[in-house]
Amino acid sequence: MSRRRRQQQQDTTDSNHEVRGPSSALTSFLREQGINAEAIRLRYEETLRQQAEQGTSILYEGDEETEEIRAIRQRASIKRSRANNDIDDDEAEINEDDGEGKNYCIECDKEFVVSVYSKKMENYGRIGYLCGDCTAIQIKKDRLSRANEIEARKRRKKVAAALLDREEYKLPSLQDCCIQIISKNIDDVELLGDIGVANSKKISRILSKNRSLDSKTMTLFLDPSLKEIEFWDCSNISSDALTQLAANCPLLESITLNLCGRLHNDNLLYYSDKLKNLQHLNLNGPFLINDSMWQGFFDSDVGRNLKGFHLRNTHRFMPDSLIALLDNCGNNLEYLTLSRLDGLTTKTAYDLLPHYLQKLKHLEISYPNKEELIDDDLIVSLLSINGETLETLILDGCSGLSDQFLIGGIRPFCPSLTKLSTVLLDQITDEGMTQLFTNWEINGGLMDINLSRCIEIGDDGAYAMLEHSGQTLVELSLNSVKLLTKKFFTRLSRNLRFPLLTALDIGFVRSCDDSVLAILSRIAPKLSILEIYGDNRCTHKAIVRSDLRVIGRQSDSI
Amino acid sequence: MSDSEQDQLSTFVTLISNDGFQFQISRDAAVVSGTLKGMLNTSFQESSTNKIKLHELDAVLLEKVIEYLYYNLKYKESVDVPEFDIPTEMALELLVAADFLDV
Repeated sequence: MSRRRRQQQQDTTDSNHEVRGPSSALTSFLREQGINAEAIRLRYEETLRQQAEQGTSILYEGDEETEEIRAIRQRASIKRSRANNDIDDDEAEINEDDGEGKNYCIECDKEFVVSVYSKKMENYGRIGYLCGDCTAIQIKKDRLSRANEIEARKRRKKVAAALLDREEYKLPSLQDCCIQIISKNIDDVELLGDIGVANSKKISRILSKNRSLDSKTMTLFLDPSLKEIEFWDCSNISSDALTQLAANCPLLESITLNLCGRLHNDNLLYYSDKLKNLQHLNLNGPFLINDSMWQGFFDSDVGRNLKGFHLRNTHRFMPDSLIALLDNCGNNLEYLTLSRLDGLTTKTAYDLLPHYLQKLKHLEISYPNKEELIDDDLIVSLLSINGETLETLILDGCSGLSDQFLIGGIRPFCPSLTKLSTVLLDQITDEGMTQLFTNWEINGGLMDINLSRCIEIGDDGAYAMLEHSGQTLVELSLNSVKLLTKKFFTRLSRNLRFPLLTALDIGFVRSCDDSVLAILSRIAPKLSILEIYGDNRCTHKAIVRSDLRVIGRQSDSI
Repeated sequence: MSDSEQDQLSTFVTLISNDGFQFQISRDAAVVSGTLKGMLNTSFQESSTNKIKLHELDAVLLEKVIEYLYYNLKYKESVDVPEFDIPTEMALELLVAADFLDV
């Protein structure tokens, strides 16, 4: 009311240009159209009056309800009065009353008296009440369906969580249950006993993941007959314990130590003295080992025997260390990894590689300190010597490389290559890929290709690659190869099949949509993991095989 | 031996622990274990007699294993499952047994 009065006041004062409060765009629009609250109220009252006059049969739901409630109240008051009056009289009264509006259960059609506890239901196109028995059943059903809904939601949540771990949700096996308990109580375990190498490895990995692998728990995995050992988190293993490792397992042929920042010069010295059979050394983050120790290690009997050397994440591995490595065992090396070694800052050190290495099966040079350090000429000359035996080539982050090493190095020299990884090589073009893979007859096909973030590759290059290796390919990553279009996938669908492909990553290839998922599901029958992070045209509606796990859809995370 | 008796036998199998205890369990539960499944589905003696002697396991351990077999059978399809209870001191032995039985 007050608002209307104010409005009227405004109308009268408007012409006088007096001060008034702010008015919204809607208010001024309505005023222009001559619409105000008074007019709306009048119109509503008019329609009400018309309806009453016509005696219209249209009943609003609210009205119906009030009538019903009135009926219930009436009956209740009768019931109450029955307590005071003669019983026979009352029953007659009720029967009379029910004669007009008899109530039948909407479900079982039983005649009954509506009470406040009767459940109202809409069914078979009409609205009615349920009798006492049916109400009880229905309430139970509702409760159950609510419980089922909660159960289903829980299931979806667990399945989604498992999906992110690239696993299928399933009941844990008895072995997993046991391993979990053992890992939880690892401090009380004195001896693992004969639990099998696979289980022991599993426990060790779980402990690493939980970050509970330390000097004490580590000793559980030491065995004098052991030939291989792997610890994926050595940050809590003291230097002394690392010495113990070599003392307890003198027959070791392969050592893998991850996050081994506590590996000391003395440890490596001890290894070079004791581990006569050592052939493979895989270290990640041994930044305490200095230049002279590296040189000393490679110069020892053990160092000279190395067949595999993998080193990542240390800035203390200097050009002279690399020269010592090459001098002593360069001719024997079959597996070599040099990743994120920021101490190697001179090109001359890298340029020595082709002079020593000659029978490499695995070569990884990734993320060098500066991109100029690794150039096409170096890789081409390395491949010209080692190409015959080379199976794995990883050149992630060597962004100084261009098409030339593909066409002049890999194509002519690498018949046995099965794995190629060129993450972040932004100078590789569509043209280069096409030239490498078109009619590349000496190579029978690659099994694992990673072209993540090779952003210059387009439809033609990728197609040539898949045409060449489609039959043998097991894993493929085209993450962020953003130039790929929908046409590329249709072309695959029409011409190619991938009988062995099991894992595919096409995240951030934005042309990928539901129909692409359906195509991939069809043309790669073995595909079990498909990652599509960042492909926001992919929805839960995609029609894919039930055994294909699609990871990274927005709709998966509930 | 009549046919009905044969059917009767094949729905249950007997597991015998190394200290002589016998456990009758349903075949459905037994085949949860890969090892037992292999024994029962081949032409070995075990598949005709439906008796399997497990020399590696004593009664306490075998009982726990059987408890798991039924646990697995019951909750295979559901999500909100209660945790399978294993006494801490038994975990290592049970792991060896589980490794052997492939469960």
